[in-house]
Order: sequence, then C-alpha cells, then structure tokens
Amino acid sequence: MRSQSIYKVPQGKLLKISVEYDEKKNKIRNIRITGDFFAYPEEAIELIETKLRNVLIEREQLQKKISSIITKYHIQFIGLNVEGLTQGILKCKP
Amino acid sequence: MKEQWRLLQTGFNTAFSNMAIDRAILVANSKGKVPPTVRFYGWIPPAISIGYFQSLADEVDVSACERLGVDYVRRITGGGAVFHDKELTYSIVIPEAHPAIPKNILKSYGRICNALIQGLMHLGISSTYAPINDILVNGKKISGNAQTRKERTVLQHGTILLDVDVDTMFSLLKVPDEKIKDKLIQDVKQRVTSLHHTLKKKIHFEEVAEALKFGFEEEFHVELIQGILTKEEKTLATQFEKECFSTTRWNHRR
Repeated sequence: MRSQSIYKVPQGKLLKISVEYDEKKNKIRNIRITGDFFAYPEEAIELIETKLRNVLIEREQLQKKISSIITKYHIQFIGLNVEGLTQGILKCKP
Repeated sequence: MKEQWRLLQTGFNTAFSNMAIDRAILVANSKGKVPPTVRFYGWIPPAISIGYFQSLADEVDVSACERLGVDYVRRITGGGAVFHDKELTYSIVIPEAHPAIPKNILKSYGRICNALIQGLMHLGISSTYAPINDILVNGKKISGNAQTRKERTVLQHGTILLDVDVDTMFSLLKVPDEKIKDKLIQDVKQRVTSLHHTLKKKIHFEEVAEALKFGFEEEFHVELIQGILTKEEKTLATQFEKECFSTTRWNHRR
C-alpha cells in the first residue's frame, strides 16, 4: 500500500511524506520525507528514511524510534520536530 | 584594525554555476584557504531553486520551465522553492567557530539577516527578521534565507526581491491542490513585496549590492575587500557544476 500526506507542522514548515507500507503488519516498507524544513546535517534525512523501514506505524513506536535516531546521530531540525514527523507519518494512513 | 573579509561580485550566472560557486567557496573556506566571504550574484536565465529536502516533481513544473527557458536546481540548503528572477542573491561563508556566528543555528540566521536589515536601512527601508528564515517589510516578505553547515563551515544564502511576478512564479511551481491555486496566488500577492514596490521606483542591482555591503560591514564590524575567486575555487566550482548541480541524479534525487 502506498500513501501520501501533507502536514503543516505547527509553528513550522510544510511536511510532505510518502509511505509504502505493509498493510497486514502495519509496518513501513519505504518512506520519503520531503518538504521545506531544515535539518542538520542534511544527509541525516536519508538516514532517518532508512532507519524507519520496518517500524510499526503507531504513535509511540514512531516517536521513540525517531527520537532515538535524532539523539544518536546529533540531528537538529528547524521547522520540524519529532511530533510533526510522527504526525505526518500517521496522517498517511486513512 | 577591522577584520577584513572578502567581497565577491560574480555577476549573473546560470543556476548550476551559482550553486557550484557557493559550494566551492564553502570548501575553500573550510580548508582555511580563503577568508570569510560575502558574495552578491544574480541568475541568467531565471531559475527555480528548490530546498535540499524537496521533491523536484512535487514542487516544479519541469515542462513549463523548459518551455519558458527557466533553469531548475536543487540547493545544498534546506527550505523552500524560490523563483530567482529580478532579485539580488547573497551568500556568506564563514567558519562555524568564528565569534561572529552564534552556535545556535536559529540565532545565526537572525544575526546574518540583521546584516541584510542594516543594508536595507541604507535604502531607506525599515524591515524585520521573521523567524525561521524571512525578512519582512510592512509585514510582507522581501527576503528568504537558507543555511547549511558542513565541515565546520556556515553557508547562508538568500534573496532580496527587486521585483516580483507572482503569476509567472506560479506558472512554474506546482501547488498541492490545483482547485485552490487561484486563491493561493492571491494570498501570495498579499504576502510578498519587493524593493520596487516598497520604494515606488526601480532600483538597480548595483545599488542594492552597495547598500548590503554596508549592512554586512556594520553588522559584523568588518571591512569587505573586493576580491576574486581563487584558481582552486574556480576548479572546484566547475567540477561541482558538472558532477552535481547540472545532473539529473542530483536535481531529481528526491
């Protein structure tokens, strides 16, 4: 199943996410995170996309996973945050 | 004596060359080979630049660009899509450790934008910084800015609109919902301004460059000395243009 979302992060930028997911397992197969936000270092976005594969599409799981990647790789967002990214992914599901 | 930084006036170039030059200066500065550098430049032909994280296909009507002779390029900085036509673009490249640059990224946007605000004062225009990355005149956007930090070096570039053509801009950009495109165009016309509109007269690129030069000198208490790209920077820029910014692989990567 492939799905997309557009989500305006409160106080932030416009996030556009495209997700390909396994409907039975409710897990991400592939994800592409795009938008007019800022992330430092920029290449971290590809890392986040890779690390989100096989993660359950469920609020707490996503928040935990995204937070841990951000901490581990010292990623800084501007115009985006963990909550916004989580929300954008959840919005991909009908 | 005041610290001396380099000023580059590289004139008008293609989108690919412009983005390659900014990156070349960043690399040269990160290796300690050139001083902090402020650059003023323009775009010929007009071009769309998109932020590093944006999807080209989602943001840009590629066939409209090709029809109208407008280039498109992905930046190494984040942020949004910009139509570069009648504007002055600046870039500043400086070590992250330089005392002039706040460690906090958002604060450093503010500091660099202050140089532009000071510069606009020399044109008799009062403006304000609107986080994250805009400068407003009378509440309307006149400047957008984007920063990256690589190899312990800061690159921030941004635009000052000399004039703006929202209709042409939207003929080149895609919008999420075609049904509300007309309303969106009306909204943007309300929210964006330009030097031409603010001053009620045309203003030349050179005049704006001169004012911004003063702005940077005042904000950072430095002297900007007119210089040129080094041989190494030119070589790097040519390489980046060819291997990165002009390629489908780079521009269509997201």
